[in-house]
Amino acid sequence: MAIQTSPAPPAPSRTPRAGELGTPQYRRLFGAGREVTIHWLTFLVTAVLVLAPVVPILYQSVRNQPLYAAGGAFTLSNYAHLFTSAGFGSIVLDTLLFAVLTTVFALAIAVPMAILLERTRFPAARLFGQVLRWPIYISPLVLAFGWIVVYGPAGFLTSAVREGFGWVPWNLYSLPGMAFVEAVAQVPIAYLFCANALAASDTSLENAARSVGAGPLRVLRSVVVPMLRPPMLYAGLLIFGTAIETLSIPLILGEPAGITLFSNFLYEQGIDSINPDYGLLGAASTFMLLTTIALVVFQTRLLKHAQRFVSVRGKATRSDLLDIGAWKWLGFAFVGLYVVFGALLPMLALILRAFTSLLTPLVNPFDLLTLDNFRLIFDYAPYTESIVNSITVAFVGAVAVTLFGTVVVLVARRSDFRFARLLETTAQSPHAVPGLIVGIGLFWAFTWMPGGDAVRGTLFALIIAFGIRALPSAYGAISPATMQLGAELDNAARVAGADWWRTVSRIMLRLLVPAMLASFLLIWTQMIREYAPAMFLAGAESQVIGTTAIDLWTQGETGSVAALATLQIAVTAVVAGLAGLLLKGKKHA
Amino acid sequence: MPELVVENIKKSFHGTAVLEDINFTVADGEFFTLLGPSGCGKSTTLSCVAGLETPDSGTIRVGDQVFFDGTPRNTVPPEGRNLGLVFQSYALWPHMTIADNLALPLKLRKVTKDEQRRLIDDALTKVDMAHLRDRYPHQLSGGQQQRVALARGIVYSPGVLLLDEPLSNLDAKMRDQARVWLKDLQREVGITTVYVTHDQVEAMSLSDRIAVFMHGRLQQVGTPTEIYETPATPEVAGFIGRCNLLEGRVGSTEGGTVQVKLGETGQHLRVVGACSAGSSATVGLRSERITLTDRADAPHDGAVNVLRARIEQCSYTGARFEYELSIGDLRVHAESPVRHTDGEINLIVRPDDCLLFPAQV
Repeated sequence: MAIQTSPAPPAPSRTPRAGELGTPQYRRLFGAGREVTIHWLTFLVTAVLVLAPVVPILYQSVRNQPLYAAGGAFTLSNYAHLFTSAGFGSIVLDTLLFAVLTTVFALAIAVPMAILLERTRFPAARLFGQVLRWPIYISPLVLAFGWIVVYGPAGFLTSAVREGFGWVPWNLYSLPGMAFVEAVAQVPIAYLFCANALAASDTSLENAARSVGAGPLRVLRSVVVPMLRPPMLYAGLLIFGTAIETLSIPLILGEPAGITLFSNFLYEQGIDSINPDYGLLGAASTFMLLTTIALVVFQTRLLKHAQRFVSVRGKATRSDLLDIGAWKWLGFAFVGLYVVFGALLPMLALILRAFTSLLTPLVNPFDLLTLDNFRLIFDYAPYTESIVNSITVAFVGAVAVTLFGTVVVLVARRSDFRFARLLETTAQSPHAVPGLIVGIGLFWAFTWMPGGDAVRGTLFALIIAFGIRALPSAYGAISPATMQLGAELDNAARVAGADWWRTVSRIMLRLLVPAMLASFLLIWTQMIREYAPAMFLAGAESQVIGTTAIDLWTQGETGSVAALATLQIAVTAVVAGLAGLLLKGKKHA
Repeated sequence: MPELVVENIKKSFHGTAVLEDINFTVADGEFFTLLGPSGCGKSTTLSCVAGLETPDSGTIRVGDQVFFDGTPRNTVPPEGRNLGLVFQSYALWPHMTIADNLALPLKLRKVTKDEQRRLIDDALTKVDMAHLRDRYPHQLSGGQQQRVALARGIVYSPGVLLLDEPLSNLDAKMRDQARVWLKDLQREVGITTVYVTHDQVEAMSLSDRIAVFMHGRLQQVGTPTEIYETPATPEVAGFIGRCNLLEGRVGSTEGGTVQVKLGETGQHLRVVGACSAGSSATVGLRSERITLTDRADAPHDGAVNVLRARIEQCSYTGARFEYELSIGDLRVHAESPVRHTDGEINLIVRPDDCLLFPAQV
């Protein structure tokens, strides 16, 4: 096809004839517009990233030799070995019980709080709503450390209670104890799901109930709570899946008590054992992968269905909040207890522990102030390095994933690429791959592929691993923003003479800057806490805060763990604050 | 600039045909309107011309430059078509100033900076917006945004200007004003224009020719007068203006007129036209061409038709009275400057004011 252009520029001071300026010329690659190459490249890179950790695991699970060794053969004995190995049944049962308990605890805490804060007249509701989101920024690992400092067998409150009553009603190093700590870490997720659903729901339903004579409590019971079923179900599934794959709490709380869940079983098989059984590890990883994939598929189907009965109207009207009278003080006590004892106290104790040599109710902690815990970290180069590594990985990773994720979203949502839907599904699928599995799979992939040894154990490998895990978050942060931009904006640019890539770079990328900043912040906080893939992948020089913390913990250096956690919280808070300012500034511009 | 030719365009979504055999040619400099109710396929046709949608088959070309001939190989992408398009929502890029919005298509065409400035000034002056060149779109009113969108559509002198309901987001008064200057502007620039609207007043007042769309088919192409005076089908007659469509059966024919028996009413209408005796036909009666009279001594000389009707409802709209009448089981809408008392009334209709549509076999 030939596009006519006029070689000579129009003479000045007259209007060009219709069509005289011609159309812009674009370089064509492989006989098609350059966007075709860009689309395929994006698709291929995404597919390789997503499959890289999965394929080696599937392959290893049916080989009788380590996958890099020559002469291996197909076998199913790894699965037979896994299912018949001693304790497998109890591991599966304990994992299920842990996940169920976590889900129940988290919903039992989050749902009443969401209703109280979103739908009733509640003292300082806005402040509480903000505070409840904080644990999102803190990793479950750090939260677990904080809980041990306060509620562990030698914890601050445990000691105080034992001193006072001679008996302690809780035991953190048990399945319910573990589930409760994990639940506290997951409460923000369930809270946000329910609170957002309530904020978006049509309050005229409540007003209708009131108009036919229902009192505030009756409205809550008959209208509001039933409306929450879909977000509860969805958040529940999400928490259930997270609980199955989580490594920190089984490792920190389960190991000492001899409780083995599936994730620390994988950890023991893969890292702790001197001579790992590759086949067994492959089969076990496949088993876990299939479980999480099944959960995510179920979730997706449910969400599709759920959206049909969530009542959302376009017009946002500030609703009348329900007045539940004296009950509100009971609610206030409930929310207050959770915030103080669940989130604030463990964090404060952890920070205090970082600056003291010991934390006990018997001695005034301010008599024990010291900087030794920090000294230990800063005196030993690999520990200091792990902090720098975490920051580097999180920063570079967040930038890279945000940029790549934006291109993926634009190809999937704003192009005529034939496999746009498949690209979208692919980019979101790492959501179903646990961090441990990404670590094991990529470790094997780098071992397997020629030249991979040079990459394995470097920060680059960590960025790839963390990046794979973060890609769905980037997609989720940017995709809704593109839906707010009308298709006419691209169409106008296309008709005006911009090809697909020009339209993306001149129009879409500029308009998506706020969403990209939000995505950067989200991924930064996710990556600075991430450690599970690094357990397998990190070399001596590429440790991150999380792996160093676990290392110090196993050495019994509680104070330095607290110091490290304090540093992590500080770094996260500073970046979150800066980004908040930046986003605010953007809005005013 | 040569003509725009659309030939045999077909398109279906999920097995439902949305465009069937669309054919039209827009002459150089012509103001051509695609008119029809929503969902009739007019906007889809415009998108196909712009390259934003791809038809299943057919040909689209401007002069001898083929945009589309049914093969993916020869399909020219939107950016290769050199058209101007103004959207209903204006689609001004919100992160650019007005001047930058106009500059982008020029930059893409590697126009020099000085020339860019000159062309932008030129285009903004044409729409009376030069003083707001450094504003951002969200700082402008809807009417101003609409002018800027138009300026952006013409600043690079595209071959054809496409307008997709550009006035429908304006309020009624603004729309009337905008219509007048839009026509002036088009005449001044002399650009070939394809205009999409569902508003028949816009279409009639602006267009050189109109293409009437219904149910994905092109019903008629013609000048506003042709469309109004000699609509091709009862649907076109019903869509343009207010037209009563009365079913009947053809009785006798004589001297260029036919006698149509109106349903079961027992009354007859003499209509100019040709139709074989005994066949069924539809007669179109424009509301404003019916004269109402109370007088019993209505002329019975045969030069005009006189029908007896009953007034069912009368509503006052200020300028005139609108009547719902019944002739037997037929309902007729009529207008009159005079208030008539309830009861029976005579309708006077000239045979050459009636539109005769023989029933389609």
